[in-house]
Parts: sequence; C-alpha cells; structure tokens
Amino acid sequence: MANIHDNPKRDEWVKKIAGLTTLAAGHALLKDFRVKHMNPFKTDWSLELDGQWIECKIEEKVALLKRAEFNDAKFMNNCTCGANAQEVADKAVAEMDACTDMYKAERIHIDFRLACKPPVMPVNVFLDTDRLLGTKLMELRNTDYYALPLEELRKVRGVKVITLQ
Amino acid sequence: MAISSATKAATDALAVNRAPVSVGAQEVHRWLQSFTWDFDKNRTKYSTKYKMANDTKEQFKLIAKEYARMESVKDERQFGSLQDVLTRVDAANRVHPKWNESMKVISNFLEVGEYNAIAATGMLWDSATAPEQKNGYLGQVLDEIRHTNQCGYINYYFAKQGQDAAGHNDARRTRAIGPLWKGMKRVFSDGFISGDAVECSINLQLVGEACFTNPLIVAVTEWASANGDEMTPTVFLSIETDELRHMANGYQTVVSIANDEAASKYLNTDLNNAFWTQQKYFTPVLGMMFEYGSHFKVEPWVKTWNRWVYEDWGGIWIGRLGKYGVESPASLRDAKKDAYWAHHDLFLIAYALWPTGFFRLTLPTAEEAEWYEANYPGWYDMYGVVYEEWRARGCEDPNSGFLPIQWFIENNHPVYIDRVSQVPFCPSYSKGASTLRVLELNGKKHSFSDQWGERMWLSEPERYECQNIFEQYEGRELSEVIAEGHGVRSDGKTLIAQPHTSKDGKLWTLDDIKKIGCVFADPLKAL
Repeated sequence: MANIHDNPKRDEWVKKIAGLTTLAAGHALLKDFRVKHMNPFKTDWSLELDGQWIECKIEEKVALLKRAEFNDAKFMNNCTCGANAQEVADKAVAEMDACTDMYKAERIHIDFRLACKPPVMPVNVFLDTDRLLGTKLMELRNTDYYALPLEELRKVRGVKVITLQ
Repeated sequence: MAISSATKAATDALAVNRAPVSVGAQEVHRWLQSFTWDFDKNRTKYSTKYKMANDTKEQFKLIAKEYARMESVKDERQFGSLQDVLTRVDAANRVHPKWNESMKVISNFLEVGEYNAIAATGMLWDSATAPEQKNGYLGQVLDEIRHTNQCGYINYYFAKQGQDAAGHNDARRTRAIGPLWKGMKRVFSDGFISGDAVECSINLQLVGEACFTNPLIVAVTEWASANGDEMTPTVFLSIETDELRHMANGYQTVVSIANDEAASKYLNTDLNNAFWTQQKYFTPVLGMMFEYGSHFKVEPWVKTWNRWVYEDWGGIWIGRLGKYGVESPASLRDAKKDAYWAHHDLFLIAYALWPTGFFRLTLPTAEEAEWYEANYPGWYDMYGVVYEEWRARGCEDPNSGFLPIQWFIENNHPVYIDRVSQVPFCPSYSKGASTLRVLELNGKKHSFSDQWGERMWLSEPERYECQNIFEQYEGRELSEVIAEGHGVRSDGKTLIAQPHTSKDGKLWTLDDIKKIGCVFADPLKAL
C-alpha cells in the first residue's frame, strides 16, 4: 500500500538514482533536482512531500561516486563538478559583500546553497562560506525591519492575496 | 626527564598566577580568570550580525568542579525521593488520571526543549569571546544535559510506576501525526538553534527561560500538586533552580552586545519576533494543559499569564534591560489578548483532533464548566454548548461513529494551520485574536493567523516551509495515517490517544476510526 514513506514517486527516483554510474552524471542530476524541487522559490510542487527524501538519496549516491573518483587532495579542495571550491566560495562572498539589497542577497545565499550544499562542495569550505553569507543576509534583512507596511511588503514579495480577514 | 611543552606552559603560568591558598569557589574562579585566555580572535562557526564584547562578565562565577558538586547533591535528593519514598507510597497511581495525561505532553515536550538547549548554549559558547561569558554558557550546557535526562526520567517513572503508560513511553514516534508536535518544534527547536546565534539566545534565554519558565516549570508544580502528582514538583523545581543561571546568561548576552552600535538596529526586532514565536505556542498550549488537563484548578491561566509574562517579564525584567536599549515587545499587547481565550479555542480543536495525539483528553465536567464560566464569562455559550452536543452525540463511545472534527465540517468551520507557528486555528469559530490571512506565492497557498507571523514569513519565507498534516495527508483516510504514524498501543490496534480517561470506558481502535471514513482535506484547496 502506498504511503508517505513508501510510494511510487520515491520508487521511480530510487531506480533513477541506482542508474548513476559517474560523478559527472550524479552532479548534474543533483544540481538539476535542487533547482527544480528544493528551491524556496520553486513553481513545481509535484515533489513537495517527497523532495527532501529523494534529494537525500541523490546526495548519498553522489557522495559515494565522489569517494570513488576523487583522490584525497580533490576531496578536500574541489567541488563535484571539478571547480576549485575556495574559488567558487570566494566569488559568492565577493558578490554578497558588494550587495546592499536584501532580496538580491537572499538569492545569492539560496543559489549558493542550491549549487554547493555538500556533497557538492567540501564541508570545510561550504560551512564557513555559508556563515559569511548568512551573516550579511541577516544584517540586511533585519535593518529597518518594520519600514514597509504589510500591504507594501506583500507587493515587494510578489504574493497574491487570497483572503484577509 | 624532559617535560612536555604543555606542562612547561602550565608551570610558567602558575609562576605568574599563584594558586589560591583556599578552595573557595569564588576565589578559584577569580584565579582561573586571571590566566586571561585569549578568545578575542575566536572565529565562531555560526552566523551572527551582533558583535559580542570580549570583556563580558558572568554573574554566577561557578567553576565546573563546584558546579558538579552542587548538581550531584540535587540529583541525590531528587532521585532518592522518587525511588524511595514516592515509590513506596505508590505516588504515581495517586495522580488524577487527567493530569497523568497532561504530563505525557508536558515532560515529553520539555525534554525536546532541553535537548535543543544543549545545542543552543554550545553555539553561544562558540560565538562568545569573553572567557567569563563562555564559562556561564558552559554551565548551562551541562544544565541542559541534566534537564534532558530529568524530563525523560519523569515519563519513564510515570510509565513504569503509574497508570496508562502508553504515551509516557516513546511519545516521539507519533510526531508525524500530532498537530501539537510541529508548533512545539518551532519554539523548542527552530527558535533555539536556527538563525542568528544571538537571536537564538534571545529566543532561549531572554524569552523562553526568563519569560516562560515561570509559568511553565514553576506553575506546573502547583497544578501537579493540586492533582495529586508529587513527582513533577520534585523534578521540575530541581530544574528551575538552574534556570536562574540561564536567565542571567540571557541578561549577559544582551550586556555583551550593548556597546556595539549596530546591535540597536536589530535587537528589538529580534526580541519582538522571539517573543511572538514563543508566546504564540506557549500561551494557548500551557493554558490548555493546565486548565483542561487537570481536575483540580489552581487559578485561571489568564491570571498566571498576566502576573509572570505581562508584569514580571514584560515590565520588570525587560525594564531592567532598558538601559541597554531593550524595549518591551510591541507584540506584547496582542499576546495579552490571546492569553484570555486562545487556550479555550485550542482545546476545542485539540479535542476535535484527538485521534492524532499520544495522550487522552477529557471533556469538561459540569463542575468544571461552572469554573470556566465563573472565570471566563461567556465560556458556556461559545464552548460549553459545543461540548454538550459532542457528548450527547457519543463522542467518547467508539460505537457512536462520531468524531468531533465532523462537527467542524458539518458547520462549515474549517480548521487552518498557521504556517509560521504551526498552531491550528479556526477563524470562524474562535473568541481569540486570530484572523485568517491566506497568501499565495508561486502557486502555493499559505495561511497565517496574525500580522506578526505574516511579516516573519514575508521577510524570510524559506525559513517557514514546514508542511502541516492537512498538506501531508491530503486525501488519506484517518485510521491509515494513525497506523502509519505509530499512533497505536502495543496490541497494534488500540489508539494511544483516547477521548476520555474513564477506566470503565471503551477504548477506540483503528477499526472504530476506519468505519467513520474520515479523510484528510486541505482547507486551503477550497479557497
């Protein structure tokens, strides 16, 4: 019987993940999956209930492929796409440092997480970069927090009002 | 023989800082601080927009060894009385059955809070740079470990020594179906350990501990005693003796950032959001547990709330922090409105959703109804008549084929869940301050029950993505979901939750629920 833990959607992805044999293919699938299904601003809600479980299973497989294909030096210093992790991180931090708009800043932070969350980027580089990006984002978000009335804030966020009592 | 570099460093340091001649805790503490450990260049692992000063002091000035002595004495007293006297007098079976059920919720949930507080104070230890301030946080990490064990022990004791163990043991397995769990995780978990490290301190220490441990951990001992429970006061008062240190830590967190000009841009916003986050759950849930989860009443929840939340915390405690730029939260006024009716609204929904719980609920008796009406005029016309109707339709009897949630459906009173707090609410049948707000973003609808939560979501939508049970189980039949979510007793068919605490009453099974044919529906889909 299909249930929330065991259902055809998950089965379909388990088969797809089992078919991954190279790190390049695993990286591409994970990147695409996150953008489409794990993005806070996604428009496709088809995997809303199962997305996190499926992402976890793809990450497990990518981590194993990474272990098989990378030597120790690459494991510590490179993303699964082959890019130098610190260079990718420095670029994101520089972009955030130059940013003064909270909505752009949240995109920078979210895009970084979607693109680099481990096992894509080594944890030692990812966590410190995430800290730096998060600190700046929080500074921007919490400055003049009540400046806009709710009506304006809804417009800026681009939400549609369904009901207001 | 050559000495190690570490031994040489210690010997050199001792040559400069002579060890004290006495073993007085305060003197030893002063001596330890004189080593001036340099954490100034400490780079925390955690994000924070605040700068914590490197010269912050700590009020308790306890050294770890002194701390261990003190706590071991407390533990000896606590476990000694529980295992000796209270067991011999069969104390756990003298507890009123209604209160026995309340403790399934209170201690299991507080355990989650204490567990997350271990991580929260570890994070603060990492973020602070002042040695004394770190020492204060260290003491709290140890406290929280102790408290986690104590809360777990309460449920273990009740399960082993008392009545109706189901729900005291292994409550956590039902976390996917019970609607109270997610709101609890929002305050006790997310609030304490996610986001800015200092904001977490504000949630945990400045609001959770300084504001709500009095009405939670102290008030609960009064309600427990009144209802024949001698175990809970023994344990919870022992916990509360440590909470003063935590409140002091929260105070010192504010002191440590007060000289940073940038802090003034964020502090009152974070405090307001933290207060609203914590009160949105605790105000209705604590009121509900005390008043509806007891037979013998202590005082109306609204009076407890006013004394400790509004006057003691909002006035006196926050007033003392005024010199550091801290202001009483703007949301305190709205919270005060909730303190009167919100717990009555919540119990109506909680009882209606009783099969999804891990505890037994009981409808108010005629005597209790009089107490409610006397203390909350207007209670009977709003709630009393509904409970009478439910009782008349046989809501306690498995053969009745009636679940109270059907009453909400029949009368077109949809129950929504607030996206930010995860607290259920019914805007069309409510006396509390909740109002329905539904917004759609990128094709998904989100419901909110107040302006403060709506703003929090609009500001940080990616922080509040938690799915509620209506979204998770849309289209699923209730008994299937209960079975899947482990909401049954060891026989595999009788529900842990029940709509009564009568020893003679029949217990509901999965089959009783199945024959009703109740299917989850997401109310937002109808809008």
